[in-house]
Amino acid sequence: MIKQVLELLFGADPELRQIIGVTLRMSVMSTLISALIGIPWGVAMGANQFKGKAIVSRITNTLMGLPPVVAGLIVFLILSRSGPLGKLSLLYSVPAMVIAQVVLISPIIAGMTANIVSLRAPSINETCAGIGISGWKRLWLTIKECRIPFVTTVLAGFGRSIAEVGAVQMVGGNIQFKTRVMTTAIMMQTNMGHFEMAVALGVVLLIISFIINSLVHRIQEQTQRDRTA
Amino acid sequence: MKRFTLLVVCVGLLFTAAACKQEPVNKVVQMSTTTSVNDSGLMAYLQPVFEKDTGYTLEITSAGTGAAIEKGRTGDADILLVHSKSQEEAFIGEGFGETRIPFMYNFFVIVGPADDPAGVAGKATAAEAFQAIADSGSLFISRGDDSGTHTKEKAIWASINVDPVGQAWYESTGSGMGATLTVADEKQAYTISDKATFLAHDNSLALLLEETDDMKNTYSVIAISPKRFADTNAAGAQAFIDWLKTDTARKMIAEYGVAEYGEPLFFNLN
Amino acid sequence: MIVLRNVVQQYGGRVVLEIPELHFVPGRRYGLIGENGSGKTTLIRMLAGTSKPTSGRIEGLEGKKVGYLPQSPYAFSFSVLENVALALDGGRDAKEIARKALVVVGMESLMEARGDRLSGGEAQRMALARVLVRSYNVLLLDEPTSSTDVRSMDLIENTLKEYVQKTQCTLIFSTHAPAQALRLADEVLYLEKGRLVEQGPAQALFHSPQDERTQAFLRHWSLNS
Repeated sequence: MIKQVLELLFGADPELRQIIGVTLRMSVMSTLISALIGIPWGVAMGANQFKGKAIVSRITNTLMGLPPVVAGLIVFLILSRSGPLGKLSLLYSVPAMVIAQVVLISPIIAGMTANIVSLRAPSINETCAGIGISGWKRLWLTIKECRIPFVTTVLAGFGRSIAEVGAVQMVGGNIQFKTRVMTTAIMMQTNMGHFEMAVALGVVLLIISFIINSLVHRIQEQTQRDRTA
Repeated sequence: MKRFTLLVVCVGLLFTAAACKQEPVNKVVQMSTTTSVNDSGLMAYLQPVFEKDTGYTLEITSAGTGAAIEKGRTGDADILLVHSKSQEEAFIGEGFGETRIPFMYNFFVIVGPADDPAGVAGKATAAEAFQAIADSGSLFISRGDDSGTHTKEKAIWASINVDPVGQAWYESTGSGMGATLTVADEKQAYTISDKATFLAHDNSLALLLEETDDMKNTYSVIAISPKRFADTNAAGAQAFIDWLKTDTARKMIAEYGVAEYGEPLFFNLN
Repeated sequence: MIVLRNVVQQYGGRVVLEIPELHFVPGRRYGLIGENGSGKTTLIRMLAGTSKPTSGRIEGLEGKKVGYLPQSPYAFSFSVLENVALALDGGRDAKEIARKALVVVGMESLMEARGDRLSGGEAQRMALARVLVRSYNVLLLDEPTSSTDVRSMDLIENTLKEYVQKTQCTLIFSTHAPAQALRLADEVLYLEKGRLVEQGPAQALFHSPQDERTQAFLRHWSLNS
């Protein structure tokens, strides 16, 4: 079995490469869009005190824990032929998977961003108030100071996105050559008793996960060093 | 002393009781079947009666046909209940089972959008219907999961020399029957399904073709060979096979689904 | 004149500062002393506007230019020079002014260092230079020398004296070291448990405190120094 797995990994199995391609396309797209939504959302939550902040952060926390199948179900019902956006014919397409992923990941990025920002914001706000800096300039400085940890949240979002299975199966449909990604393919191959392909895909997924974690770790170590140096 | 005697008697009685219960030596029969069989509800319907009649306990696991048969190869089942002739024969060819015992059948159905753009309704065979779908380029959703249904579908395409894989009008979900019907419904596409799952599934698709000779779906049981796995429960597997031939079992199979759908879902062979 | 009237600050139901009335006369230098948690920081933050009183009013700050150095100022991750120039709206000679301010606080050798890599004392001197590049009507400093080493202390205190001399601003600062209040302030305020216990000219308050709580605090301090 190990021999067959290695053949799949290092050979030129076109379907394996195609699945990896769809997976990366989906994950990169959903991570970018989630970052564009989640980072401003998190910065707004973390940088300021405002009325209703408690309720906003409670909603964000709830969304952070949203079960993927629930997100999948909601997006499914919205995009379904009989749903409100059925006319767009988006169900069972990569954009549908990206939408479900954005629903799942942007609150996670927002929550992590808010945490990062709220560690620095009080001190930055206080300092800026003392030297007459306010408004957008202060916000811009805050974002600039957090840019490195922001990279880790985006990477965490990517890791989450590439490992997601439930929601992606529901709205993507695991359609061969179109919406089949690594996780749904692993599930399918296991159900079919094709363990070699499942293991080969699992190995790829693990390697990607390992690379992301190493990057996050390095960035965190780097920032730690900068702060204590 | 008196108390000790009482204890010995009690323990002795317990052992006797346990020995009596073990009348079938290994009580548990592990059955591996396909999701479509399990989803039809047939096994849940037969199981309690079989257990009462024979004293065995049935443990049913279900998976796609490929994985269901794989459990026979890894020794994780005593008996298979599947519906994919070619895969069953390969399994026996490898020596994992000795005989394939077909015991019931039903028909696959071709379902699709109610307006039937390919004109499937009224065709004489599934092969003609598939040809019409291919000719009109209407979307067809395949399970693509090596299940019994998928195997049948591939056989029909092969019979008309069409290779649908990679065609723009052909999509493969790699999923179960229910999930595939949902996709077909959403996309208003054609697909082939077993009738029981189609009837139990909520969708807007129409039943366009059924009961053609080339859509017969035969279910068989295969006992795992004790030559391959010495600890397999051969006696239990045989008990299930024997029980399927009883009048009780045949009557239950023939009646299954009549109350709910107004027609039987399975037919006994012979 | 800055006037506080019936100012109360509560956090989570607990009163951290309560001042019925307090005046700050323009051009004078005020030193706040007291234990940790006595309300020094809260008072300065309310004057700076970064903390709003739960009730009461602060008058006399409208239209005034207020400079403020918080207790733990933030050092941005760009260069020390840019950190200081930040306070200067990017005018043409901003860098030049910042450079001069850094020389004054003895940081000419660290101008190009990254702000977030400075030691605590260096960061505090940089932050002080950043505040002092502009002129204010009111200057608020929350423990400006808490991390400063002894060698730089004279330099910092002289810099502050010169600044106040030059700008004629009202200076209000808090300090852990009562002796610093004696050196820098015209008037000293002793706070305890969120209340203003005693206020008076520096020399008088130190040499003949009226309230026994002030006496106890100063006695304790002189025994320990």
